Amino acid sequence: MIEVLWHGRGGQGAFTAARLLGAAASLNEGKYALAFPSFGPERRGAPMCAFTKMDDAPLGDRSAIKQADFVVYLDETLLGADWDKELKPGGVVLINSTKPSAAFGDKRIIALDADGISTEHLGRPIPNTVFLGALCAFCDRLEPIDVHAAIRLYMAPKLHDKNIAVVDAACALANQAANAFGEVGTQDNAEALGATEPAITAAPTQSVSAPSSHTPRPQSVICTLQTGELDPQQFAHTTCFSAGHLVTKNAGWRNERPVIDAGACTGCYQCYFYCPDGAIYKVPAQGTTTDAQSHAALRAPVAVDLDFCKGCGVCVSVCKFNALAMIQESEANGA
Amino acid sequence: MALNASTISDNELFFGHKACAGCGGSLAVRAALKVLGPHAIAALPAGCMSAVGFNFPQLSFANNAMITPFAATAAVLTGIEAGLRAQGKKPDDCTVVGFAGDGGTADIGLQALSGAIDRNDDVLYICYDNEAYMNTGIQKSSLTPFGAKTTTTPAGQHAHGCLTNKKNLFQIVAAHDITYAATASVGYLPDFVRKVERARDIHGTRFIHVMAPCPTGWGCAVDETVDIARDIVDTGLWYLAEFEGSAISGVCGGKFTLNRNPQTFASVEAYLKRQGRFRALDECEIAEIEAARDAAWEVMRASWC
Amino acid sequence: MKQFLSGDEAFAEGVRLARPQVISAYPITPQTVVVERLSEMVESGQLNAEYVHVESEHSALSCAIGASATGARTFTATSSQGLLYMAECLTYAAGGRFPIVMMNANRATALPWNIYGDQRDSLALLDHGWIQAYAKNNQEALDMALMAYALAEDARVMTPVMVNLDGFALTHTYETVDVPEQAQADAFLPPYEPAANSFNFEHPVNIGYSAGPEYNKYFKYWEHRDMLAAPTVIEEIETHFAQIFGRRYTGMLETAHTDDAEVVLVTLGSIAGLAESVLEQLREEGIRAGLVRIRYMRPFPKDELAHVLMRTKAIGVLEKDISFGGEGTVFTNVNSALLQAGISVPTCNFIGGLGGDDISVDDLCDIYRALVRMANQQSAGEHVRFIGIDNVGGHE
Repeated sequence: MIEVLWHGRGGQGAFTAARLLGAAASLNEGKYALAFPSFGPERRGAPMCAFTKMDDAPLGDRSAIKQADFVVYLDETLLGADWDKELKPGGVVLINSTKPSAAFGDKRIIALDADGISTEHLGRPIPNTVFLGALCAFCDRLEPIDVHAAIRLYMAPKLHDKNIAVVDAACALANQAANAFGEVGTQDNAEALGATEPAITAAPTQSVSAPSSHTPRPQSVICTLQTGELDPQQFAHTTCFSAGHLVTKNAGWRNERPVIDAGACTGCYQCYFYCPDGAIYKVPAQGTTTDAQSHAALRAPVAVDLDFCKGCGVCVSVCKFNALAMIQESEANGA
Repeated sequence: MALNASTISDNELFFGHKACAGCGGSLAVRAALKVLGPHAIAALPAGCMSAVGFNFPQLSFANNAMITPFAATAAVLTGIEAGLRAQGKKPDDCTVVGFAGDGGTADIGLQALSGAIDRNDDVLYICYDNEAYMNTGIQKSSLTPFGAKTTTTPAGQHAHGCLTNKKNLFQIVAAHDITYAATASVGYLPDFVRKVERARDIHGTRFIHVMAPCPTGWGCAVDETVDIARDIVDTGLWYLAEFEGSAISGVCGGKFTLNRNPQTFASVEAYLKRQGRFRALDECEIAEIEAARDAAWEVMRASWC
Repeated sequence: MKQFLSGDEAFAEGVRLARPQVISAYPITPQTVVVERLSEMVESGQLNAEYVHVESEHSALSCAIGASATGARTFTATSSQGLLYMAECLTYAAGGRFPIVMMNANRATALPWNIYGDQRDSLALLDHGWIQAYAKNNQEALDMALMAYALAEDARVMTPVMVNLDGFALTHTYETVDVPEQAQADAFLPPYEPAANSFNFEHPVNIGYSAGPEYNKYFKYWEHRDMLAAPTVIEEIETHFAQIFGRRYTGMLETAHTDDAEVVLVTLGSIAGLAESVLEQLREEGIRAGLVRIRYMRPFPKDELAHVLMRTKAIGVLEKDISFGGEGTVFTNVNSALLQAGISVPTCNFIGGLGGDDISVDDLCDIYRALVRMANQQSAGEHVRFIGIDNVGGHE
């Protein structure tokens, strides 16, 4: 069985790709596949997964894939520190990035500029079908002709030609990478690739911890992050629990973040007022000025809570003074 | 005191939720709870805001809050208010508030809402209207406007989306001679906040119908939420109004007030064209939408000013 | 004080004595009299409660849920289609562990329309997480109203309770009922003090949330386990009740002549009163007949049933219910209990009283004689028999 784990954000088409892949892989007699998304409450922009399983016999196991032959990232900001734990020995990561594969510091990670390829053919960065082409190059089970057929069967007619072009372009590009890579899924290959060596962790391109320049929120009633074990003996007798009990941040949703130009900010608080997530807060008035603060004489009267900002950009759109701008997360971390 | 961006509370009572980036509904809930304060008790039916707000152990309301059965927002509000009053434990600053979507209000929840208004229960009901069943993935509700594409009103060769007009919920509610009702939009947040503040300070049943765009369902960029929520008012396709029932206006049958009466409207065509859901509309249909708007405004201007 | 009351009236008196703080009311035959009497009590000042005229049964239970979430003692009542209409809210109240008490007037379900008594309504909703009690007469109905609150609100149980009264046979039939004094009731039932299941202004809570695959099972496990605590709690409550009111109830089951019985009929509700009356006649004929009345269908008294049915040679189940395409719901439950206890004797299901149809002394005698035949032949023959249609007695 070949298993493909898709990482994307809600709205990026990860499940569409997982489904098309399954369809392509099961077109022929004696070929079977399953495709399904992770079902969760999270919404567009939130990290999500989709799964494709392909085999020569009907598949009975409908549970989520824990380790895959191919792990696809439609958004490189989703690549976390534990990426290699999801990979079978000899497995391959395919990631949407403008960086060269070498930049990831691990031979098992193959980068493709899926946004670029899709923009060239579709006019917009819709990276999902790029990876169908890429998988054709890496996976013996999959032929471009089958992917073309799946696209014709399951996508809207006006999308057929452009997406088929995307698949072919991606397949050609990926073939070069695949030839350099060898055969996926074999132990020999795994060893050759150094999979048994300690993995070099790809630097997560997005920090989820608060930046060092973090200023505290003003005193207020707010939901707060909690840690600690939850004991079913305690919590499960009712559906009643402490209000505002948070266990996860939303920072992983974002690939852009707002930055504030303190010099241009007039303190009108419209960004704070209109933020759907309450992720912009007023910086409390200064008491005594510390060195750090006097140094940063132009501190803005608002700050962004990067733990909970989803990067929607409403703050930028409501700012009349051009004091806010969205920047790429990668730029923010590089800075 | 009129609240604004500077004076509104720092409390973030709806925070850490999993709504889509740029969600208009979550902005409405957040802003309303800032006005109502931490003693508000919120009840939300099945729908986007409850789905993204209450996933044990991620609980995104810092105040007392609960999910209700889908059809039962108003009935649960009634029960909460009656329970507190019967026990004499309702603080003066406690507003019992419901937040329900357009389907949860104008479709499945309309009967219970009508019952609560009929009893004049001391509750505030806020309908955040994103013009379709977004929680289940964009299906038509009775507040979906004419011409909008949803997954159950597809835009194809035979039909260009929703064939029915938006139900006139505000006037249905007003026809009960409700104590207070208002329409609002998250694009004009100071107006919405003022109405929540006013509703907070009135006893009896209060209702606010707030337009809350959904970038996912409307087919616009996530940073356009607020701008498009202004545009819908500026085009005259939505209106900012209040209704004061006979109990507070002294007028038999109640009194309507139009809060914003633009001399000229912004372009309907531009408003429609910026959203994927209206992409299939042709010139005739756009003209129909404009004509319907003009007819509605003629009535409002004649009797609500 | 002795009063001549219908079942609905008796139950309303029981509710009054329990001092509910919020009552949500919606009419449906044959329950309506309950909410009428309660409205009079509130109007006259006998009962200090918020009386809410809801616009549907769905809202009746939803309103009770909202009120219970504030820590208020709540009551509502319904029947038949009304119970089905609020079915969604039943699982809600149960999963949220709101200790609501509801009276259900057992009535047939449409179609065809029929306002008379049978047990299809409540038995169809047996799996919705409520404790289900079935009264035999109006005195037990009144007493169950009081005991239901004690049971629902017990911290070990924290589960809503539905008390079922046979439509018309109880709800509209008058008999002498002892209505206790309020002081006695107050001594029995203290005010509800929610332990961990209500809004709190000092320590706010979120209630009624979602729980995904990782957590859901724990909530369901404890919903199940905590209901299983009910038999123990019922015994304590009934002991306390007997101390104060002098009436002793018998827990999950009530039995008659089961000690030496060879054939036993298991049933529930008011028909047990008639069945008791034929036992003597049958015993004079030499039939060692016994009777078991199930007082609580949930939690299901499987151990208690196995204990009293251990030495029988044939068992019949009489119920006003049919799970179409299967058999009577009570029959299924009883057979499961017997199987688990290793009791292997012929069992047979007698379906009667549908839509208010009469079950006569002759029918009951026929049933017992059929059980004797089954015991002798060590075989049940036809397992599901409709009274008045099928050959109930199994005569050749």
